[in-house]
Amino acid sequence: MKIDLNLVGAKGAIAEAAEGKWGMTIDQDVCTGCQACVAACAMENNLSFVGEEDAGYGRTQHWIRIERFWEGEYPEIKATPNQPMLCQQCGHAPCEPVCPVFATPHSDAEQLNLQVYNRCVGTRYCANNCPYQVRSFNWRDYHIDPFHANMVDGKLVFALHNQFNPDVTVRRRGVMEKCTFCIQRIHKAQDTAKAEGRDVFDGEFTTACAQACPADAITFGRVDHHESLVSQLSHHERGVKHLEELNTLPRVTYLKGA
Amino acid sequence: MSEQVSRRDFLKLAGLGAATTAVLTGCGPASRYVTREPYQQMPEYNLVGHSTYYATTCRECAAACGIVVRTYQGRAIKVEGNANHPLNLGKTCARGQTSLQGLYNPDRVTDPIKRSVRGDVASETMNWDDALQVVTDALKNHKPSEIAFLLGTSADHLFDLVTDLANSTGVNAPVRFGALSMFEARATLSKAAENLFGQAGLPWFDIANAQAVFSFGANFLETWISPVSYTRGFSNLRKAEGLKPRGQFVQFESRMSATGARADEWVPLRPGTEALVALAIGKLVAEHHGMEVPKIFSGVDPAEVAEQADIELEALEHIAKMFAEAKSIAVPGGAALGQSNGLAVAEAVLALNVLADNIGKAGGVYLSPLAPTETEYQRPASIQEMKALIEKMNAGEIKVLFVHGGNPVFELPLALNIRGALGNVEQVISFATFPDETALESDYVFPDHHFLEGWGYQRVATGVNLPVLSGAQPVVSPLYNTRSTVDVLLTASQAAFGNALPFKDEVEFLHSKVIALMGEAGGSFSATDEESFMASFQQYGGWWKKSNGTTSASDSNVLDKTANAEVAEFAGEGEFFLVPFVSPTLGEAGANKPWLQELADSTTTVMWNTWVEMNPETAHHQGIHNDDLIKIISEAGEIEVPVYLYPAIRPDTIAIPFGQGHIAYGRYATTTDENGNVLQRGANPADLLSIHFNEAGDLAFAGMKVRIEKTGRTKPLSRLESRIGVYNEGMEGH
Repeated sequence: MKIDLNLVGAKGAIAEAAEGKWGMTIDQDVCTGCQACVAACAMENNLSFVGEEDAGYGRTQHWIRIERFWEGEYPEIKATPNQPMLCQQCGHAPCEPVCPVFATPHSDAEQLNLQVYNRCVGTRYCANNCPYQVRSFNWRDYHIDPFHANMVDGKLVFALHNQFNPDVTVRRRGVMEKCTFCIQRIHKAQDTAKAEGRDVFDGEFTTACAQACPADAITFGRVDHHESLVSQLSHHERGVKHLEELNTLPRVTYLKGA
Repeated sequence: MSEQVSRRDFLKLAGLGAATTAVLTGCGPASRYVTREPYQQMPEYNLVGHSTYYATTCRECAAACGIVVRTYQGRAIKVEGNANHPLNLGKTCARGQTSLQGLYNPDRVTDPIKRSVRGDVASETMNWDDALQVVTDALKNHKPSEIAFLLGTSADHLFDLVTDLANSTGVNAPVRFGALSMFEARATLSKAAENLFGQAGLPWFDIANAQAVFSFGANFLETWISPVSYTRGFSNLRKAEGLKPRGQFVQFESRMSATGARADEWVPLRPGTEALVALAIGKLVAEHHGMEVPKIFSGVDPAEVAEQADIELEALEHIAKMFAEAKSIAVPGGAALGQSNGLAVAEAVLALNVLADNIGKAGGVYLSPLAPTETEYQRPASIQEMKALIEKMNAGEIKVLFVHGGNPVFELPLALNIRGALGNVEQVISFATFPDETALESDYVFPDHHFLEGWGYQRVATGVNLPVLSGAQPVVSPLYNTRSTVDVLLTASQAAFGNALPFKDEVEFLHSKVIALMGEAGGSFSATDEESFMASFQQYGGWWKKSNGTTSASDSNVLDKTANAEVAEFAGEGEFFLVPFVSPTLGEAGANKPWLQELADSTTTVMWNTWVEMNPETAHHQGIHNDDLIKIISEAGEIEVPVYLYPAIRPDTIAIPFGQGHIAYGRYATTTDENGNVLQRGANPADLLSIHFNEAGDLAFAGMKVRIEKTGRTKPLSRLESRIGVYNEGMEGH
């Protein structure tokens, strides 16, 4: 069902019916905080590392990060269940309407929040407005910092560039970026299915984070297909959505840890 | 393996077919199998716009997970898990994911080099013919007893080759070492299994099918032995399905590890009392069952143990009740074994499993399956064995030392002074891929390929209840002027000793070892001819049995043994117990990969540096704040580290991660000042370790007491979590 979320009065019954298309569940009870998802995401999506100093200023490019909090005091202290936080691909995203150049529109086809890198002018309004704090800004041209290069025959050679995923753009300074639900994988699976004259089936592909997760905490798929694993898990009794009261319609369901 | 061939499998198969063709038609060593072509004439299997996937084995630690590497136009793009591989079932850890940053690291050793002054970064490039002559002369001009090999814990095929070389020529048998094996006290666990069950080796703990896990210091969700496999086990433990309830997890340790952070009950016992606590639980469990207390548990008094361990007796009784009423498994590991009584800890904890009657049963302890191709698992050297090697070096008995795969100058305790011992060796030849501290102390560096450029196999020591030989093949052609160490040793040994190792090259050597499996029944695949068998071996990423063979172990008289019920002894003066632990993100050798450096530690969220964890109450009394640089002084040495106020550590304990503190190993492992001088990044807790052993010869690395001194300086740590509001920091104006 296609719903115009900008329609006056649509927020409410109609919006709630919009369950989206692609969704994710994260089982906090089994997440061990091992950071495999963070590393896999970085490798898949050409994320730049920023170095110790910039990392200390909070400029890291983590599209997914693992949050943990402390409860109580020693010796009755407990680390809360790990909470991997990433773009929730909100159905009603607070980041979208504040962009003056429409660099973060909503995809009708995929029901995802897009980030158009070559349209972004770096106002950072979207990051300011994101209640999940999952957008990261390119404060420098990290990838082409000569620090990472070797001088070979009078030219700067960046050996690390060999690893770039050709399916994903490399972002320059002044551009906002965030989790895309590995849209390059979505498109590839759709292209393959289309060429074979069929639909994409559940589990045919998954995001880089879900693929790596050794605990199998992350599940990705079509939330609007009720027989899919992710759809069933998202209706699990332990399922919660973060900051749901803001009516952001997040597409990520967290299965609460004990 | 289903009969259907998925698209990805097809691509793997397609890539493999072409690779095999190259095997049949190629010529010239090593490079004949994979060639780097200009893009105008790409290999036929390399379709534009399509990726090719190669199955190989990760060598970032010794666990030997199967991986499938996505390559695109001759470049490795992404590491993914091998879904068929029984150890990791398609999953990977962060270190495996970032192994590509090792492959494409700008600081690799690109050519063979000669160094005139050891320790000096200046070096001159050589060609491989001269390099081979150096190795040949080293082998030829010395007595076999004067030649030694120091190898890392991975690259099992190289270990087998050197073992064969030792057997046929009389050179010293290779010694293997890695920091992980030191911090896991693997020799201790193996010895305990031998003492109790009559079979040495690393037991495998089937936590997935247990109902309650009791871990004594084992950090199995971080780096311990086979973390990906154990994480899957933990995940399955936690999942309630049908009649199976959500499994419980209790962790005993003085500092909350990332593993302990996931426990239902975290028990901060006093360091050194692990054996007593395990025995007391055994006694309480036996009493709960109303059975006669077995002899091994009879020597302890639970009330006294609770007192010594600084925990409540009620807590101990509660845990014993949990243990008695569920299908329980007890896991010994980590710092608990790295103490003066580590062997007693391991035996006491393993005895709990005998009491739970879970040996060789689902949800219980399996002794490691015999590795295919070798009848005995080749465990790494304990620190006592390393000390023996160092003493031989100091005595001038070793004239030539070959080093591959490890970085002992960085990893071994400073107190062992391996740097000084290398000074007493005439010739040190390193095969390092990276300019690490050990390569810096070598006369020559003859770089091996990165593991993603080379052939090989790994035995899966433990982590799954099956014999597994994990296969490795090049996923890209060698990027630089490197050469496989196996090829170098084959050529040199043939020139020096005649036909001691009668193989044309590395691939022929591998073939000779792997093909022995062809006749074995119950394998994951079968083939009628050798070419097909080897092709399948590469395609599937290894060979394993579909079900476990018999491993006979007798646990009948374990409970009648006498236990050593004593508190561990601690060396040195000072008010703090020192707990060094391997960084969960960096592991032993991850510091040169920038993305591993930038991953937030999962308990502290610190990136890019070393910290010391201190209880906030203790710090408050001492007038110490977050980021204060303090000096930690042990009987062996001292280091300066910034403080992280860590709420989940005993007030009498401090903990430091191992993994940083490099002075070499590339630009990401070190730091530079404004003049471009290379400086140490962070600090290395191995500098603090004094040399005391447990009964199994492992280092008592967690058996030390240290004192601290304030320096009056600060070093702000980069961390992912905000400091604002934590311990009232940054809130002064409010």
